[in-house]
Amino acid sequence: MALVPNMPQVWRQETKPHKFCPGCGHGLVLKTLGECIDELGIQDRVIFGCDIGCSLLSYDFFNVDTVQTHHGRTTPVLTGIKRARPDRICIAYMGDGGGYAIGSQHLVNAASRNEKITVLLANNCNYGMTGGQMAPTTLPGMKTETSPYGRDVEQTGNPTQGPEMVAAITPENAYVARGTIANLRQLKRMIKKALETQINGVGFSFVEALSACPTNWRTNAKDTWHFVEKEMTQYFKVGEKKVPPEKEEQ
Amino acid sequence: MAVPAFKYVQKDCTKANFTLFTSICKGCGLCMEKCPVKCLEWSNELGVYGTPTVIPKDQDSCTGCGTCALVCPDCAITIERKKLK
Ligand SMILES: Cc1ncc(C[n+]2csc(CCOP(=O)(O)OP(=O)(O)O)c2C)c(N)n1
Ligand code: SF4
Repeated sequence: MALVPNMPQVWRQETKPHKFCPGCGHGLVLKTLGECIDELGIQDRVIFGCDIGCSLLSYDFFNVDTVQTHHGRTTPVLTGIKRARPDRICIAYMGDGGGYAIGSQHLVNAASRNEKITVLLANNCNYGMTGGQMAPTTLPGMKTETSPYGRDVEQTGNPTQGPEMVAAITPENAYVARGTIANLRQLKRMIKKALETQINGVGFSFVEALSACPTNWRTNAKDTWHFVEKEMTQYFKVGEKKVPPEKEEQ
Repeated sequence: MAVPAFKYVQKDCTKANFTLFTSICKGCGLCMEKCPVKCLEWSNELGVYGTPTVIPKDQDSCTGCGTCALVCPDCAITIERKKLK
């Protein structure tokens, strides 16, 4: 038998190599998500929604029903699907531009209504697909296409703290965390807990993953890791922000 | 759609079998930086975008820890640890 790569079983092999740039963090986040879907055995129940931005390049990524929606609208579309089919596991996948800028109202309202869906957001500090413009998550002083002298916090504010915001507005049975592609085992535990929160019908679940965009950051592998591990973590603290209270053992 | 055959190169190291799928490696280099013993180097085999791919420098340096495979965004590396004799 021909040797095949060790991909998560839910990955569609015939669409690989996937469409993300070399070294892109989206691949790592979706690999981790794939492993979680495999281990929870939920492939036939998952509905995956991807946003506009580079996350849309995952429209043929998984062997599950997939929908691609307008910018930032993945959260309400998946909310609708979940309400119509509560037995499905709905995962909305987006970038930081989609979640925190163009679609922030959707994230905020889905979170405060405690919708029983999972939102997974890749934070790469810029608008990747459109060529690396400044995003709400761009670090202070970071140079992008639209902040060529570095982000000026006096004029444009500080980086959006997504999980902290979601944790503040969700009821106590939600799951909210920030992981990073620099610690994939931890990220996997977080995504798994988020999916379990939805599977058990407990509440809203949200995981932000610190991701990388080497193409627009113009970084080589060494600088990419440095940026994710040392620069981003100065503003974005990795960890669980809200965990549903454990059910009492019977 | 039929699943394509993935092209690969292999290196038989002392502690593990190293397989690199050249038809999905994009040459990003994330694995080289993360390898705890820095045993990977650029190889002459070209990847899917015409970039160099990676291969362990010599047979003995790879410890078979699997970190390179873990951090590959494309699942282009497979590490099979050998049983200790
Ligand atoms: C309503 C709307 N506004 C703007 C755009 C243009 N647009 C397309 S992709 C994109 C950036 C996406 O950035 P992000 O969500 O951070 O994802 P990334 O590409 O970085 O993964 C923008 C602004 C759009 N498609 N729709
Ligand atoms: S532009 Fe950036 S986010 Fe988009 S695929 Fe390339 S590396 Fe990934």
